[in-house]
Amino acid sequence: MPDATDPLARLAGVARHTRGYIEGWRSAHPGQPVVGVLPMNFPREIAYAADTLPVVVQDDQQPVTEGRSLLAEFYCGYTRNLADQAATGRLNCYDALFLADHCIQLIGAADVVRAVLPEIPVFFGMLISSMSDTWAPGKIAEMMGEFRDDFGSFTGYPVTDEALASSIRAHNQDRQLIRRLFDERSSGSTAFTPGQLQDIVAASMVMDPAEHHALLAEAVSASREAPRDDRVRVHLSAHLCHAPRRELLDLIEDSGAIVVDDDLFHGRRYVSTDVDETGDPIDAIARWYAQRNATIPCPTRVQHDADWDTYLVGAVRSSGAEAVIHLLPKFCEPHMLYYPELRKGLDAAGIPQLLLETEHEGLPAESFRTRVEALVERARRKRPVSA
Amino acid sequence: MDATQDRSNRLSVTRAGGGLIADYWERLFTAREQGKQIVWYNGGALNPFFQAAGLAWCHGEAFAARLAAQRLEGPAQLAGAEYGYNAELCSYARTHLGCSVLTLQGEGERSGVVGMNDSRELAARLPSPDFFVNNYAGCSTGQQWDGISFRVFGKQLPIFNISHPFLWGNKPDAGYLRGEEWESASRYVAGQLRDLISFLEAQTGRPFDYDALSEAMTYIKRAAELRREGLDLCKAKPAPATFWDWIACVAPINFLPGDQALVDYFAAVRDEITERVAAGVSGVRDEKYRLYFDGIMNWNKLGFLSRKFAEHGAAVLCGRYIHNAFWQEPQLIDTADPILGMAQHYLLCPTNHGTKTLDYLTLRDCREYDVDGIVFHSTRTCRAFTGPQRLLAKSAQDKLGVPSIFFEGDVADASFYKEEILESRLVAMLEAIDVRRARGSQLAAAGAPVS
Repeated sequence: MPDATDPLARLAGVARHTRGYIEGWRSAHPGQPVVGVLPMNFPREIAYAADTLPVVVQDDQQPVTEGRSLLAEFYCGYTRNLADQAATGRLNCYDALFLADHCIQLIGAADVVRAVLPEIPVFFGMLISSMSDTWAPGKIAEMMGEFRDDFGSFTGYPVTDEALASSIRAHNQDRQLIRRLFDERSSGSTAFTPGQLQDIVAASMVMDPAEHHALLAEAVSASREAPRDDRVRVHLSAHLCHAPRRELLDLIEDSGAIVVDDDLFHGRRYVSTDVDETGDPIDAIARWYAQRNATIPCPTRVQHDADWDTYLVGAVRSSGAEAVIHLLPKFCEPHMLYYPELRKGLDAAGIPQLLLETEHEGLPAESFRTRVEALVERARRKRPVSA
Repeated sequence: MDATQDRSNRLSVTRAGGGLIADYWERLFTAREQGKQIVWYNGGALNPFFQAAGLAWCHGEAFAARLAAQRLEGPAQLAGAEYGYNAELCSYARTHLGCSVLTLQGEGERSGVVGMNDSRELAARLPSPDFFVNNYAGCSTGQQWDGISFRVFGKQLPIFNISHPFLWGNKPDAGYLRGEEWESASRYVAGQLRDLISFLEAQTGRPFDYDALSEAMTYIKRAAELRREGLDLCKAKPAPATFWDWIACVAPINFLPGDQALVDYFAAVRDEITERVAAGVSGVRDEKYRLYFDGIMNWNKLGFLSRKFAEHGAAVLCGRYIHNAFWQEPQLIDTADPILGMAQHYLLCPTNHGTKTLDYLTLRDCREYDVDGIVFHSTRTCRAFTGPQRLLAKSAQDKLGVPSIFFEGDVADASFYKEEILESRLVAMLEAIDVRRARGSQLAAAGAPVS
């Protein structure tokens, strides 16, 4: 049980025990639906404006059992975990599921949910992923409008502009506070550990944004200033759709490294961009989707003038990171495709790097430790020798 | 398996197709000398547009499949691995991207030819592209693959992308070839194809020849109709031709020019099958079992798998990759204005449907071809094809009583193929079919209703 008086512990409790939070929310909001949202781009703002609780479905890190008979073992861990959650009743806490991303593995998992749980509607509206197309802005706005209509049909009430504007404000406010913590970390603060930041972001994917913001504000006011120490400064990259295991984050910091920035989905990537609070809210949400990929390019999108490698080098320069650790969930094809470009870009910039491929079940701790320590040594050797 | 007892009886006419294909590649390899611009593309068969625009075209998957079928994929895959591509990445993409890497290495010699440095092993002379077009439906990796090719070539070459909505089937009226989702997606893709024409005009500096497009599509439509006639003839017992014969026909229907030679080829295929039906000649000597094949082709093992199934008396006679792909609904094509029908075929990629529609198509074909079992090729690096397979297997068992097996392999990476797994599972399924038949015969003899 988390300490009820410790806001950080409460946030961690939500992040790690999503279903418990949902149960409590349902008791407090009888009759209001809880919808599961699949990563990485479905706009929670629309769902929240429809008086539902939108929850980004988390990898609950349970071993895949019955899900093994529903999706091939060479699907990524997150999607196999989703199939397993569906097969074992762990998705029954949702009244509907919404998906906007085109990743074929996510679609496969959503199809499994649709087959296994026919009583739970699964909405899929594919957001265009080719961002450079001239027709992309119009198609994105059209799809955001369809999501709004879907929620209207689902709840039986239209989603008003006023509700959308209010939802956007609540999400922006929460994102801004979370983003401040990432900015402070990249500027030198270590007030929050990587694990705590992950819990904060994961909880924001689950909770009512106003409630999350209030709790986080409490945690921030109780935090203490803590400057960086002399460990090797690293940037953690990628791990799309789901969070890396907390043990891995601890292991990295126990191996002579200190995390100073990231572009993890359960990190800076999730909170990178705010929605414009002026003008038509659906248009603003559409622009937000496009802008996110310009702020931190994602390998699941194709955009010719947005380079993840360039972003990464810039982020490293900005935070003072001395090395990059790529966290690649096994079988994540977008990341596998883009990785050589990242490697080339970082090599050209003289930035040491390490690729760690994570698996859904288990963590080869000692093997990872050795490799992280080797990276730390490489980075240390690049430090200027003091007189 | 005893190699001395080959019971497969492949169509002789497909050898003629081999000649057409060889001629096509030779024209492509010498396109630069002919002064032609070259486009690399992936996904649906855009070649009629390129034909009408006077271009030479290379289909990325086709080139990777060709290398794998000839067992020449090694150097490209090695180049890709050295560049950083993970072995779990789509092996089509990995092989083709390896070709890009080799192309760039070759440019050091100013050859602009893939694998010049390694030509002995690769035996491929693919010219580098002038621009890219991506036309991938159903698989997110397909779209990203060309986005990465664009980057590998230093972001210097023009690229055009066509986006395809996944046919999920959310709406109450959604179904195969029907409903608002289908209609709106068709219009959307058709609109992008018109923009593609503008892009091609910009690249070639010439106005697009719409008459040439109509002409090419007239030939392709006729070839597709003949292909469908041939496929329908394979419902006969014993089956006059098999899935493996149709696999040999993929390249012609997928990327050869739309012309009289293409029509003649498919007329010859249909005619040979017709003759076989009349003469009672089967694609597998002493056909005993009729099987459905789900999965993308294992190009490294085409001849081997053909013989392997035949050795067991198993005629693999239909499958998703053959029956639900490659201009499979020719009635949709209006040759006077073919763009909408072409857009619809790109959407009909067999990986672009939700499982509800695939379930309909699979069960329909299993019934029509009266199959005894299904073989699922669990294609290691193709998540698009394998995604719904477990659900389809369960549905076939529950609704039709049709058993199935899974075997492991891949489109273009032989290292994932597991021979003993296929052998033992295939034998087990065929024995189960025997037992079921025997039980059915006993019940029939006893006068009991046979379910």
